[in-house]
Amino acid sequence: MNYRQFVLSQSIIFMASSMIFPFYVLLLRNIGDSYSQFGWAYGLFALTSALAYPVIGKWADQFGDRALLLFYSLAMSVILLLFPLVTSVWQVYVLQIVMGILGAVQKNTEKAALTRRTDKKQAGADMGRYHFWTSIAAAGAIIVTGYLVDFLTIATIFYVASLLYAVSGFIMWQKKKSIL
Amino acid sequence: MKAGLFICVYGVLFAASFYTYNQFYSNPTVEDAGRLLPAQVKEIAQADGEETLKEIVKQANRTGSRLTIAGMQHSQGGQTYYPGAVMIDMKPFNQVIDFQPEKKVITVQSGATWDDIQKHVNPYGLAVKVMQSQNIFTIGGSLSVNVHGRDIRHESLIDTVQSFRLLKPDGTIIRVSRTENADLFPYVIGGYGLFGIILDVTLSLTDDELYQKNTKEFDYSEYSDYFQKEVKENPAVKMHLARLSVAPSSFLREMYVTDYVTVEDQQLLKDYETLKKERIVALPKFFLGLSRYSGWGKDAFWDIQKQYMLEDNGSYESRNNVMRSETDFMAYESGTKTEVLQEYFLPVNEFADYIDDLRRVLEKEDEFNLLNITIRYVEKSDQAVLSYAKEDMFALVLLINQGRSEEEVKKSKAVIRKMIDVTLDHQGSYYLPYYSYPSKEQLETAYPRIDEFFRKKQQFDPDLRFTNHFYEEYNE
Ligand SMILES: Cc1cc2nc3c(=O)[nH]c(=O)nc-3n(C[C@H](O)[C@H](O)[C@H](O)COP(=O)(O)OP(=O)(O)OC[C@H]3O[C@@H](n4cnc5c(N)ncnc54)[C@H](O)[C@@H]3O)c2cc1C
Repeated sequence: MNYRQFVLSQSIIFMASSMIFPFYVLLLRNIGDSYSQFGWAYGLFALTSALAYPVIGKWADQFGDRALLLFYSLAMSVILLLFPLVTSVWQVYVLQIVMGILGAVQKNTEKAALTRRTDKKQAGADMGRYHFWTSIAAAGAIIVTGYLVDFLTIATIFYVASLLYAVSGFIMWQKKKSIL
Repeated sequence: MKAGLFICVYGVLFAASFYTYNQFYSNPTVEDAGRLLPAQVKEIAQADGEETLKEIVKQANRTGSRLTIAGMQHSQGGQTYYPGAVMIDMKPFNQVIDFQPEKKVITVQSGATWDDIQKHVNPYGLAVKVMQSQNIFTIGGSLSVNVHGRDIRHESLIDTVQSFRLLKPDGTIIRVSRTENADLFPYVIGGYGLFGIILDVTLSLTDDELYQKNTKEFDYSEYSDYFQKEVKENPAVKMHLARLSVAPSSFLREMYVTDYVTVEDQQLLKDYETLKKERIVALPKFFLGLSRYSGWGKDAFWDIQKQYMLEDNGSYESRNNVMRSETDFMAYESGTKTEVLQEYFLPVNEFADYIDDLRRVLEKEDEFNLLNITIRYVEKSDQAVLSYAKEDMFALVLLINQGRSEEEVKKSKAVIRKMIDVTLDHQGSYYLPYYSYPSKEQLETAYPRIDEFFRKKQQFDPDLRFTNHFYEEYNE
């Protein structure tokens, strides 16, 4: 995995996740309808992430960043296919737990990969550039998604996001001379 | 290699998910009380408040979605929905906004039911002027079909409406009354939700009163005369109701009528004013059940019903209670069958001849399962463009048990069109909130202003933001 591959795939991941997160609430609104249910859904996500971090950290050192990021992308692309079929709140909770673990994989590994690569002296500038590209992708995605939901259905965004995750996975799958 | 495998697996999962979603989840399926027209709508939007409603209309204008409006969905011909359109559920929009007992007026949001109003005004000794015999319907749904009921002194619902606010197809709100935006008043009332969303309605009320029930048996040939002389000319009679036999042994001949006569000593009202609750309905439900399956059951049901009503002769009931009669016993659950209503209006003096003609048609239709005929009276009321009471009319409500298959719908259609032809031959008309059995020609004869109605709709809502099955079926 080279750096360009890395930035590209992470940008796509950001795009996909920013597509679903703000609008995910709409799905919850259709299914559950109390604020405590929102609280539980997001709380479970954060909690499972927290518990997963220590283990995942060790795995990253053991299996390599690329393997984990690849696993994350592919797993997300599959999980998202379940979202349009959700009909009750408990299913949302289960998905949130799985997403919590996967989210931890992504966050931890992304940071580890960046740290491994970054030359200490120009770390700030590097991070700035990295966040610029990934955030631009996210912003674009959120705005476009707003229109998608207006014209299509919430289910569409889950399918589009799933495809984006799959693409980000394939980008990482290609063997390129590693700089990381 | 591994990537190829993943692509295959992912592809299969994607297809499976997408297929399942489209098959079962994508669009909520809705149907109304008729249960003959299930349809997949784009979305069901809840009317959480005025702002939400405005937003729904604005958004539909942006995205090009079509809108339909649903109250309790007791209409039976898809008047509340259309495939692919957003269906707005008005039920949560049900607050009483203003109530002035001394002036006898109330303003309520259109998702409120008559029951909500009755509970609110009954403690003040007030009652609704015109509504259905039952109180389960929303105000918006009732206005949009311009209902009538047991009351015989206040014409139809439109005559009791002072004003309402309308959320127009362009997202703006106007007030409509007989003086403000007056041209819209007779279109929106009886407008089947095609002119926008009725937000809140100001209705005039009347006093709650105590009535004595006066029940008699008749032969159908004496009814018109009796009604003209004893009911219409007697100002003490405020409400009226009759039932015509559908039992084989007295088919369309025997009938009984109940007049609700104002009691002289209104002090007694306080003993009767408590609002009644749904009673245990097992017995009528059982007999109605029997009558669905056999002529013998129909005979038994008719005898028992008549007996019960005659024994009840002379008892007292408050106006509010007369207008909250039981519905639960009618509830009918069956996978393959359903129960639909028809309502025919005809001039009072045509009654006996009409019934003879109707009997001639129905005696040939062995398979047609007619369960009940209730008769009421509506005074001439020609304010609404789609008004059904072109003169003083009897209104016959027919309850029909039929299959839900295409074949069965066709059979019902054939019989119902014949009945409507008979009705039209006697200068009658029919009611529109039911299934679209009538032909376009029948619609035009019964409602001579229907073209004017559709033209106004197109002029007022040129993008056709609001629609429903009724509009799509009959407007070409
Ligand atoms: C068992 C039974 C008994 C009945 N008895 C009588 C009777 O005694 N007398 C009588 O006159 N009728 C009677 N009806 C017919 C009934 O009054 C109508 O079907 C009425 O429309 C039902 O009200 P709803 O709240 O279910 O309206 P819905 O069926 O939900 O809606 C009816 C129409 O009104 C429109 N609408 C609803 N809310 C609004 C709104 N806020 N703004 C604009 N448009 C709106 C809808 O789009 C639709 O076209 C009866 C029906 C049944 C099933």
